[in-house]
Amino acid sequence: MDNGTSNSASENETITLKSCDGIEFHIDARIANRYTLLNNWNGGESACIPNVNGKVLEKVLEWCEHHINDPQLNCGDDDSRRRNTIIEEWDENFLSCDQDMLFEIILAANYLEIKPLLDLGCKTVANMMKSKSPEEIRSAFNIDNDYTPEEEEQFRKENEWAEDY
Amino acid sequence: MITLPNECLFEILYNLKDYRRSLYSCLLVNRQWCRNVVPILWSELDVFKNKALVKTCLLMLNTEEQALLIPFNIMLPNNSKPLFEYTTYVTDINIDSVDGIINWLYHEKQEFHYSWSTVTKIIKHSLTLMLLRTSVKLKYLSVRGKAVNLLEKILIKSTSLSSLTFSRNELLPEDIKALAKTLCILVFRNVILVM
Repeated sequence: MDNGTSNSASENETITLKSCDGIEFHIDARIANRYTLLNNWNGGESACIPNVNGKVLEKVLEWCEHHINDPQLNCGDDDSRRRNTIIEEWDENFLSCDQDMLFEIILAANYLEIKPLLDLGCKTVANMMKSKSPEEIRSAFNIDNDYTPEEEEQFRKENEWAEDY
Repeated sequence: MITLPNECLFEILYNLKDYRRSLYSCLLVNRQWCRNVVPILWSELDVFKNKALVKTCLLMLNTEEQALLIPFNIMLPNNSKPLFEYTTYVTDINIDSVDGIINWLYHEKQEFHYSWSTVTKIIKHSLTLMLLRTSVKLKYLSVRGKAVNLLEKILIKSTSLSSLTFSRNELLPEDIKALAKTLCILVFRNVILVM
């Protein structure tokens, strides 16, 4: 990406994004600039986003627009940033969508390298797992148990210290 | 249902770092989750505080470390070898309370001809050797009480260490003298020392 071009983006500039299923979005150029989300963007007027469909891209862009004036995060402090599980009300409402959409947003944020949205999605899923039993987690996320009974029992014993730590 | 790649699953689970009970549940979900949880769950340990943790760690002693315990008639757990080399994921070790060792001995109804404090000390010694030998990612080590003889020999090998804290260290001038060379080397490696 040409940083010289992108850094000069001003409030009124818009660019056009195209999702993988061909839906076009006209967005504030500052969004593209801020998240460097357009690896394929050459600084021109439009860009294609492969791997993200229109429905998901719409949500992602809605989030980016709402947060356009947020201060830039200090990426250096990964540990404390990830350990803080508090979520703002707007974000909580924004992510109270169905689970498939939530996972799609996480995948898109990961793909487009929108770190704060990725963190937010991950925190939301993590909060859903708190105080749940393994069986409850499996059924909530529709996950198969591929342990052998012996293996599961051994892992249980080796890590049971974590239960009353 | 969408399957998340490991990098996203790890990010999600990392948020539960301070919620060990939840991590424990996640670990038991399936094999993919287990592989992602173990490095997080085992990263920060207050090793000798919990009897179940002491028991798992005792399974990881090598022959030499086990040999230290033989003269004291300590019956080691006879479970099979652990499914992971858990302690290789440890980054923070806090060597403080020995309650876990005492509780383990008590729980196992162990009988020996030595004082509890002697037996507790030798188990602590043996486990500390194992931890310092295996924790290749160790960054922060906090030691309470005496451990000079261990530290002198082993700390030199721990090239990943970035912080070493002694608290209520009971270090006598001669201990400091014995440690001086080691500490100098650590300072030379930019390890932060708190005494």
